[in-house]
Amino acid sequence: MAVNFNPDVSSIFPNIEAGKAADSTEAKVNFGKAIAKSLNKVNELHDKADASIVELLSGKSQDINSVVASVAKADMSFKLLVGVRDKLVAAYKETMKMQI
Amino acid sequence: MEIDGNMFGAIDIAVSGLKAYGKQMEVVSSNIANARTTDAGDGQPYRRLEAIFKAKEDGASGVEISELVRDMGDFQKILANPGDPRADADGYISMPNVQLPVELINLNIASRAYQANAAILKRYQKMVESSLELLK
Repeated sequence: MAVNFNPDVSSIFPNIEAGKAADSTEAKVNFGKAIAKSLNKVNELHDKADASIVELLSGKSQDINSVVASVAKADMSFKLLVGVRDKLVAAYKETMKMQI
Repeated sequence: MEIDGNMFGAIDIAVSGLKAYGKQMEVVSSNIANARTTDAGDGQPYRRLEAIFKAKEDGASGVEISELVRDMGDFQKILANPGDPRADADGYISMPNVQLPVELINLNIASRAYQANAAILKRYQKMVESSLELLK
């Protein structure tokens, strides 16, 4: 099973290149959308892992290794998502603490 | 040659190794189970099977078993018990060309290779986790 989870957000941020600030006249970058998109991908991977476990337990498939692979992918992508979220929340808190 | 920069490349490759060596184990167990099978369905003794491993694609890629081939080596001849209906005119029976010591070594190779692939999977997960640690 080939699941391509790509944490690269450059497709969502077309006007961001490495080391180059976004052009403000271009379409506004929507960070929320990027997060939602990767959230969907993580969710998709979890659904796939779920489905493969159900297939294994219901006897439809006997391929334990595929289950291991899909669960490992779901686990890793979820950990990445949690890491990004934690960082995001920390950044938000940091900003809110700022003296005005 | 290309290396897939995908975060899951290593997982897919390691899992393909697990699958291939699982299959290899199947082949070995078939050979061992049929080590004394004098009729493999066609009236001939069982011929031992050999799994052919093939890279899935050029460059860094997983592995798969492309085909199973039959070992066309000579059958072993053993002296039949008197009155055995399978004996030929000289009193011999053709036995499969399976050699148990060889199969047991193959079994060892397959199980070690399986472990190695599982170790890769585990280690790669740890590597990714340690990258994610840097986010904290």
